[in-house]
Amino acid sequence: MTRPESIEREAADVCLAAELIRLGARMQLLEAETSLSRERLLKLYKEIRHASPPKGMLPFSTDWFMTWQPNVHASLFMNLHRRVRQSGAAEGVHALIAAYHLYLDQIDAIGTDPVLSITRAWTLLRFFEAELVQLTPCSCCGGEFLTHAYEPAKTFVCGICHMPSRAGSSRTSAKTAISRGQKRLSAQPA
Amino acid sequence: MDHEDFADEIRDLNLSYLILAQRMVQRDPASAAVKLGLEAETARWLAALPPAKLVRMASLQIGLPQFRFDAAVLERMAGEKARDELTATLHAAILAHGSQRKKTKRTGGHHDET
Repeated sequence: MTRPESIEREAADVCLAAELIRLGARMQLLEAETSLSRERLLKLYKEIRHASPPKGMLPFSTDWFMTWQPNVHASLFMNLHRRVRQSGAAEGVHALIAAYHLYLDQIDAIGTDPVLSITRAWTLLRFFEAELVQLTPCSCCGGEFLTHAYEPAKTFVCGICHMPSRAGSSRTSAKTAISRGQKRLSAQPA
Repeated sequence: MDHEDFADEIRDLNLSYLILAQRMVQRDPASAAVKLGLEAETARWLAALPPAKLVRMASLQIGLPQFRFDAAVLERMAGEKARDELTATLHAAILAHGSQRKKTKRTGGHHDET
């Protein structure tokens, strides 16, 4: 990777990297999307997060995106990203940031927790570019959902129109399990 | 029966809409374009609109904010049925942010039967 040729360019890269770090980006994303050196990115990361970045490889399989809850969130993100691209207001990594902000806003408005991290979103866009995954319109509701590439569109039914029996229940069941556990504890004589 | 022309209401609605849209566009054009469904040119024009013109625009007896979706999409978004409220809202969001080209393609309401 070439070093930044001008101070202005470097300043813009630092701002970009800082925003990505605030959104939770991992080192691989920062190294790929900015021209800052690894040392400078590490310093910046520690300055903002007060911790070292997590080590290790990024997940490289498309399977995670096909499981029920991640698929719904990833589909929402991909639709938003396409909208950003269509609006022509942002390109490349800036479109990623804009779409991720929109995703967070939407998830926040719905009142649930984000499932897709910005690093996952970035990986997803790369899978998309590599044509490993695609958006396929559901034959039932018409909404476009993330699927493996070459999914036959005629027979495709999305995960919400045809919900698997236990999908989406993990969060609530975890909550009830906790509250049940607390009740049991408080019911026990001290 | 009184003739109600909603003139003040329309002006207030327009004014709120224009002020909000202008603030959003100035702050973050990309997100404003997606959230409000503005085209790039409209967004640029709105960002530079002086207050006097903004007020004049608002006083026209024309509702400026318009529905972005055709009736079939609106119907599907509002009447979304799923196992729980959260999933239904997520589904509606995905439908809303989907591409608009299926406007003409889908006319039958297959969703109602399922």
